[in-house]
Amino acid sequence: MILYADNNFSVLNRIINILNRRRVRIKKMMAHENEDDFRRGGVVMLLFVTPDLMEKVKLQLEKLIEVENVTIQEGSAAYFEQSERIVDVD
Amino acid sequence: MDALLTKTEELVVPTKKKISGSEALLRSLVAEKVTTLFGYPGGAIMPVYDALYGYADQLTHILVRHEQGAVHAAQGFARVSGRVGVALATSGPGATNLVTGLADALIDSTPIVCITGQVFAHLLGTDAFQEIDVVNTTLPVTKWNVQVTEAKDIAPAVAKAFYIARSGRPGPVLIDITKNAQNELIEEFEYKHCESIRTYKPSPVLQISQIEAAAKLINSAKKPYILAGQGIILSGATKELVEFSEKTGIPVACTLLGLGGFPTDHPNYVGFLGMHGNYGPNVLTNDCDVLIGIGMRFDDRVTGNVSKYARQAKVIHIDIDKAEINKIIKTEVAVLADAKEALQSLIKKCDANKHTEWIDKFRALNEIENEKIVRKEFNPSGELVMGEVIHLLSEMTKGEAVIVTDVGQHQMTTSRYYEYKKPRTNITSGGAGTMGFALPAAIGAKLAGSEKQVVAVIGDGGFQMTIQELGTVMQYKVPVKILVLNNNFLGMVRQWQQLFHEKRYSFTEMDNPDFVKLAESYRIKARKVEKREELQSAIREMLEAKSSYFLEVVVGKEDNVFPMVPAGASVSDIILEAPTNV
Repeated sequence: MILYADNNFSVLNRIINILNRRRVRIKKMMAHENEDDFRRGGVVMLLFVTPDLMEKVKLQLEKLIEVENVTIQEGSAAYFEQSERIVDVD
Repeated sequence: MDALLTKTEELVVPTKKKISGSEALLRSLVAEKVTTLFGYPGGAIMPVYDALYGYADQLTHILVRHEQGAVHAAQGFARVSGRVGVALATSGPGATNLVTGLADALIDSTPIVCITGQVFAHLLGTDAFQEIDVVNTTLPVTKWNVQVTEAKDIAPAVAKAFYIARSGRPGPVLIDITKNAQNELIEEFEYKHCESIRTYKPSPVLQISQIEAAAKLINSAKKPYILAGQGIILSGATKELVEFSEKTGIPVACTLLGLGGFPTDHPNYVGFLGMHGNYGPNVLTNDCDVLIGIGMRFDDRVTGNVSKYARQAKVIHIDIDKAEINKIIKTEVAVLADAKEALQSLIKKCDANKHTEWIDKFRALNEIENEKIVRKEFNPSGELVMGEVIHLLSEMTKGEAVIVTDVGQHQMTTSRYYEYKKPRTNITSGGAGTMGFALPAAIGAKLAGSEKQVVAVIGDGGFQMTIQELGTVMQYKVPVKILVLNNNFLGMVRQWQQLFHEKRYSFTEMDNPDFVKLAESYRIKARKVEKREELQSAIREMLEAKSSYFLEVVVGKEDNVFPMVPAGASVSDIILEAPTNV
């Protein structure tokens, strides 16, 4: 799951709170500030979740005021690709 | 005048006056057209209260007796007026006492803004006196919340808070302001209303393709059925719903919070939905061919067992909140829009039709309920029953009072028998089921300037959860009418114990105080009724009173609310009476 949001205090808590409520397990996670604008950021997560539940959780995450968008990709390869991209930028 | 100033004079205009963060907050509230605050002072919010002393001509502050009272009063205010309700509390326990009301407002989509004081910024995270991490505590129960640690950020936070609270699907917002920010001086400013937030899209653009798909289903339906929720009331779509139902001939049932959104005396109105709803609307959910949910969220109290809910029907779901679509019920056509806008479009696209036989089917089933339950409750013998009290109240107020209910048997009875005619006259705690809601919410509803009678109908259990707000009624002479239906039991829990736990009445019987003496000690006129022949005159006396009035009606101890969809059952397996073995 790739999520972009405003980089406000507690935004990560809000995201994780939604996952906790739905009992979605986070296997891996990388959160970051955007290089070009520290007021924005994002998080890449590898989640253990069914596609059906993921779709519902995505909509609930997008409902958060600070969250800009959420995209879902299946499989762990997408996670490593995305998180490496963030590490490379840093 | 400006034109007369020379260039030099312009340059020597004195620098702007400095104001405190607290004053910035109050000016922001005034700019948001706030008139009434419900609150309770304490250490960390004292600078705001100090500033409030000088704003008495612009802001009315109501001192409640507990912060929970403040937040429920703000909810009642918002639900009746459609404006944002505001509550004020101090840090720590003051703030955590708001949590229940915030959760209630979130699930029931009520626009409120709560402002809490917080310890000095340099003390955050040090376990200072009355320091609780309020942002994290209230994070799951608010639509949005924010902590402000500098005075300059107060006005923008207020602007954002009001915009978020009232836009899209409304909800509660909390602003936590550290004491240093309240004290800090900043230059005077011009308040800027918030009109958009980059990452927040509250009003989806109506997709005409969705409307066309919905209209196609509706036009070909033989047994279409509308479930109307609070979205109708929030978007002010009653007129459109009536027009849509009249043009298409489709029957309408209301959810608990949707009551009032469609007139109960309309020929297309078929009843109240849910666990204790009417017989026809529940049973025929599993018979309709097109189910149209408008501004409702298929709560489990409406659906019963989801796996046996409307399996035969194609579902059209109209809602402003994207996350509600397909959350509980798989939707054939989703219309992501404000209810009013969607209905205006649907009226144009849908054909005129009649579904007389289909509506008659509802009537026939409801007649079975009338026969088995309603007529008996309206004309009982023996002890007074809740149904006859509410029926009388409904008749004597012509269904036009603002009725504020708490949670439990009295709430279900009121929802079944009060004949709501207009939107924003039914105020109750729906999704959260908060006992203790009604008394403070009724205070807020009355102080929202309602010319209507405001009657709080409460059980003896819920009444005692926020009973201290009688003090608020007394101090501000709030002319609310308080009707307590007393069965000396936590009635709904007792009903479940009787039906599903072999009558093991585990801690549900209550030894109650003398409520009349108690109300009188708060200088509220009070009366207790135990006999049927006194009921009508007592209700009349209550309604005719110019000031607040407390009426206790003693009802049967072990009466049950029927019909009932037992937990885990399908809506079509709704029962009209207790199984013979209990």
